[in-house]
Amino acid sequence: MRPTMDTQQATTSDPRLPALEFQNVAKSFGAVNVIRGVDLQVREGEFVVFVGPSGCGKSTLLRMISGLEDVTSGTVSIGERVVNDVPPARRGVAMVFQSYALYPHLTVAQNMGFGLKVRKMPAREIESRVADASATLKLDALLDRFPRELSGGQRQRVAIGRAIVGNPRIFLFDEPLSNLDAELRVHMRAEIAQLHERLGNTMIYVTHDQIEAMTLADRIVVLRDGQIEQVGSPQELYLRPDNLFVAQFIGSPRMNVFDIDKLPPGVAAQLGVPEGAVKVGMRPEDLSIDPGGRGMPAVLRMSEYTGGNSLIHLELDGGAPCLIVHHGQTSPPEGTAVHLTLDKGAVHFFDANDTSIRKG
Amino acid sequence: MASAMTDLSTVNNGKGRMLRLSLRRREALTALLFVSPITIGFLVFFFGPLIAVIGYSMLQWNLLTGEATFVGYANYADALRHNPDFWRVLRNSLVFAAGLVPLNMGLALLLALALHRPFRGVVFFRVIFFAPVVTSAVAWAIVWKFLLQGEAGALNEMLALMGIDGPNWLREPNWAMAAVIVTRVIKMVGLNMILYIAALQSIPRDYDSAARLEGASGWQIFRMITWPLLAPATLIISIVTVVGSLKVFDHIYLMTEGGPENGTLVLAFYIYQQAFEFFAIGYASALAVIMFVIAMALTLLQVYFRRKDRA
Ligand SMILES: Nc1ncnc2c1ncn2[C@@H]1O[C@H](COP(=O)(O)OP(=O)(O)O)[C@@H](O)[C@H]1O
Ligand SMILES: [Mg+2]
Repeated sequence: MRPTMDTQQATTSDPRLPALEFQNVAKSFGAVNVIRGVDLQVREGEFVVFVGPSGCGKSTLLRMISGLEDVTSGTVSIGERVVNDVPPARRGVAMVFQSYALYPHLTVAQNMGFGLKVRKMPAREIESRVADASATLKLDALLDRFPRELSGGQRQRVAIGRAIVGNPRIFLFDEPLSNLDAELRVHMRAEIAQLHERLGNTMIYVTHDQIEAMTLADRIVVLRDGQIEQVGSPQELYLRPDNLFVAQFIGSPRMNVFDIDKLPPGVAAQLGVPEGAVKVGMRPEDLSIDPGGRGMPAVLRMSEYTGGNSLIHLELDGGAPCLIVHHGQTSPPEGTAVHLTLDKGAVHFFDANDTSIRKG
Repeated sequence: MASAMTDLSTVNNGKGRMLRLSLRRREALTALLFVSPITIGFLVFFFGPLIAVIGYSMLQWNLLTGEATFVGYANYADALRHNPDFWRVLRNSLVFAAGLVPLNMGLALLLALALHRPFRGVVFFRVIFFAPVVTSAVAWAIVWKFLLQGEAGALNEMLALMGIDGPNWLREPNWAMAAVIVTRVIKMVGLNMILYIAALQSIPRDYDSAARLEGASGWQIFRMITWPLLAPATLIISIVTVVGSLKVFDHIYLMTEGGPENGTLVLAFYIYQQAFEFFAIGYASALAVIMFVIAMALTLLQVYFRRKDRA
């Protein structure tokens, strides 16, 4: 074969190759280990969401992908290339910041074209790229405005537009919606999902909001204290959490977890507790009040009406608090003794290390 | 029923408005009371002397005999038309300002860029550069006069080690001007440095991250982002520095007393001489008014340029 074919093959990205790979990546600030051994592969075109409580290292991971932060040990690869020592601008990534980071003294068009201008792209090409991106994001009418003259949602779009014009291989989003009000957040969430569908680029999205993670992700990476707790599709994480942390982090309202030895008498036998299990978890939406009087005995303490259903707070015999999602417009009054059954979904068992025990 | 309700709401509205007006009046009164001490202070101690000086500037006033005669604009004519000293002094002041302002602000900005982010020992460096600002002008002048001596001065001894024959800094007019400018900059640069550090720290770090990610070099980030965002701070700093350089007095008095050959005789020092050495109160007052007008004009000019820049 001619040598040109080889070069061509090397540059077209193979969908089977990872777009991004972490190998045993660690990061410390001084003596503090913020990221402690992360291994991860992201496929080309995948939408991956990093989720975890505040301070767990999500932003740090993202900044290490972008090169704004260097890695203490391990390797970060983009495509087939180890990028540990590649400067940020050469990595083919673009980032959308939580603060938007729009330059206040530049117009929308100048903000979007900034990166192209510093790379000395001809003015006419900058203009046409900005025009393309602003058409995609419906920003055409706002190009001459300054950031201070925009609403929160519009600023968010400009920040995304600025990322798009550079035509990056990977998009990085750091909690891009957390400064917006609830309604706009839902709207922009959908827009980002559509954008991913249209562009098809690899996207890494950081959030501490598990609903955002569930709705957007092809795969979710759950982080805690600088380590990966579990990686999987939203459904996998919901149905088969690897451990107590993931079980309680994914799903809303969060899973009820009871100590098995504090369950009402007879319940443990009914559940068929596997060997080594010390805790049992049941999701609020899987539990219901059994009119026939079978199941776990409990007393109703409080109910919160939310429209389509109610959140009912109960106390199991033995004192353990329990929350269920109750469908329907009426719920029994406070103090009523009821029985709870698990008529769908799964019972989750955890051992003394909080690791899930899979039955069968 | 309906009409009764309308009546009721009208009455209510009327009452509400009356109440709101009197409340607003009461609030205004409270506000006036709160600002009155500073306002009265301002009128008495700033506006009073200004008016007095303008008044004096139209008198021929002999401080010894106490005789004062109204001479109109004669003192101004004296300064602007008849007395060649005035133009010489004004030129000196402008040379001093033209040397000091860019040197001071440029150095302050460089120091601030180096010291606005935390690193080990940053506080030590900030203190080092700020300490001269709070050092007594007298001590500062004594030390520098000593260092800048012609024969045995430390600076010339150091230059001699490198084979350079240094001048007698404070005894030659041009060198003396350079020396008072540089020693003044070293003393005062810390103040502008602190102001620039505060301004730099108020720029969100995400701007820098975003720009770096987009491929901007350090110089591009400075030129296209940092510098424009510093403009409000630069305006304030330049006004304060320009006005301060026009008013410089103690430094000149202590270092050179305006010499040699009047080479460092600047406006503020000249006014002092006229008033308290030659007792020409009227003439000195006219000079003070001229200085006030120049300072005001330079300030307005800077504000104007900043406005035009933004438009
Ligand atoms: N530049 C830094 N210097 C020191 N500690 C840092 C720095 N950046 C982040 N950290 C620490 O690293 C941890 C993870 O931070 P971050 O990645 O921002 O968390 P997240 O984005 O998940 O909220 C936090 O404890 C934070 O205090
Ligand atoms: Mg973060």
